[in-house]
Amino acid sequence: MAAPEVHHLFHNPIADHSFSPDKSTLAVARDSNVELYQKAGNKFSLTDELKGHEKIVTGVDIAPNSGRIVTYRNAYVWERTPAGWKPTLVLLRINRAATFVRWSPSEQKFAVGSGARVIAVCYFEEENDWWISKHLKKPIRSTITTLAWHPNSVLLAAGSTDSHARVLSSYIKGVDTRPEPSAWGERLPFNTICGEFLNDSAGWIKGVSFSPSGNALAFTGHDSSVTVVYPSAPDQPPRAMLNITTRFLPFNSLIWNGENEIIAAGHDCEPYRFHGDENGWQLTGTIENKSGSGVGAVREESALNLFRQMDLKGQTQADTQLKTVHQNTINTVRVYEEANGNVSKFSTSGVDGRVVVWTIG
Amino acid sequence: MAQINYRTINIDVLDPESSVNFPMETLLPPTLPAPTTSSEAANVAAQVRQLLRSGDPEGALRAVLDTAPLGGDDRAKEVHLATVIEVLQGIRQGEMTKVLEGVCNGQGGSERADCLMKYLYKGMAAPGPSSGAQSPRKSVSPQNTGFSQIQARNLGEGGGGQQMSVLLSWHEKLVEVAGTGSIVRVMTDRRTV
Repeated sequence: MAAPEVHHLFHNPIADHSFSPDKSTLAVARDSNVELYQKAGNKFSLTDELKGHEKIVTGVDIAPNSGRIVTYRNAYVWERTPAGWKPTLVLLRINRAATFVRWSPSEQKFAVGSGARVIAVCYFEEENDWWISKHLKKPIRSTITTLAWHPNSVLLAAGSTDSHARVLSSYIKGVDTRPEPSAWGERLPFNTICGEFLNDSAGWIKGVSFSPSGNALAFTGHDSSVTVVYPSAPDQPPRAMLNITTRFLPFNSLIWNGENEIIAAGHDCEPYRFHGDENGWQLTGTIENKSGSGVGAVREESALNLFRQMDLKGQTQADTQLKTVHQNTINTVRVYEEANGNVSKFSTSGVDGRVVVWTIG
Repeated sequence: MAQINYRTINIDVLDPESSVNFPMETLLPPTLPAPTTSSEAANVAAQVRQLLRSGDPEGALRAVLDTAPLGGDDRAKEVHLATVIEVLQGIRQGEMTKVLEGVCNGQGGSERADCLMKYLYKGMAAPGPSSGAQSPRKSVSPQNTGFSQIQARNLGEGGGGQQMSVLLSWHEKLVEVAGTGSIVRVMTDRRTV
């Protein structure tokens, strides 16, 4: 397995990160700005800042082809013009902070989760030259923490602090083409609830993701578990709902690698792999190869140094350095490179200000 | 018109959007077992004591964790807590690791581990057996969140000290087996014991 590519950008938390499709530009949310980094050789260097937000930026997403959006309370869509990046304000009509944003795969819509117990689905209206937002509201009882799009750009999965993961339809006439009937439903007008899931230990949902085919949903929550749901038919209980409890701290984000593998990362500072299918899932281990520097450094500690440390600090060694690549919680996991749903590289960003690109061996 | 002190009105209760009015029962999964009563809990206690006397601590712990009254009323839960603590105190220090590994492996093992962790925390939060008789437990938290912060803790004084040390050594062993994830689930899980 190739060593992970580590980019230590700054000493501030990264709320969200996103790569441009050619991987030359990296956008990260830092405090109340979005910073754009250009790749030069092996390093990313700061080239541009998107300013104009008054409050902390909580999400950033680059659409594979065109625009970009960032959020707080009111979203901006930034477009590249010869004179630089030009913001367009999108009125989300929400009275609480926006928490999460993602472009739909079709790039005609984006969804914004918020603390106002609504998901704003936004689309561009040609006639008025204006971004319109429509609210998904009905069954949501608490803050939306995370969102994920189905490959058909109509279904939207949302995780919330009311411990439910939901699948909702965000079908907008004139923007979307009619979706193919699937296990989630046949007719899907706006705000159809296609599924509502609660796992046994009921933590806040921190990450949701559809499998590449869209026929399975995985979510992870504050209860350190990952739940995979296989829907059967509309209005029927799911065919299988599998809960994998782990012995680690909670996960914040997860992605699918093919239909049989999930990669999740969070408060334990390193990504873990899960493997399975409808009949059962289990944890297969960590992505990281930790036999490197950390362990060796401990062994070479001299006796003098050991006693000195015990004398000064009451401990044998100053273990402020974690053995993982990330030195703090991982906030976001994103697919970096994939082919037909099989991920070969993925990127993570976290509270430690690092963006890491991992290669799956 | 009578004098109303408007400052004493809890306006959060009147606001349907307020988080105080969050329906906690929506967090209970559909798999919650049927409600049980304290007499059923007492029956279970008798069976478990039988197992413990017959020299099968692993079976006793397994049985007591499998029959946890997750849907029961407060009285049933208290009776069951007493049974669990009795079992935990009845297992010798040297046997703990072996018993735990037996209980936490196999079918449903991780659920049993989580359940035991809930009992350990509940046992540590509850007043000790001596003080409990004099002052009945009061729920002080303003809403039924399942947690109550303001409570006398039995930190080493009276008869509670010994029980606390038993619970703490079980806690240490259980974290080795089930990891920190188990502690996190005690906090999130609404199926209280």
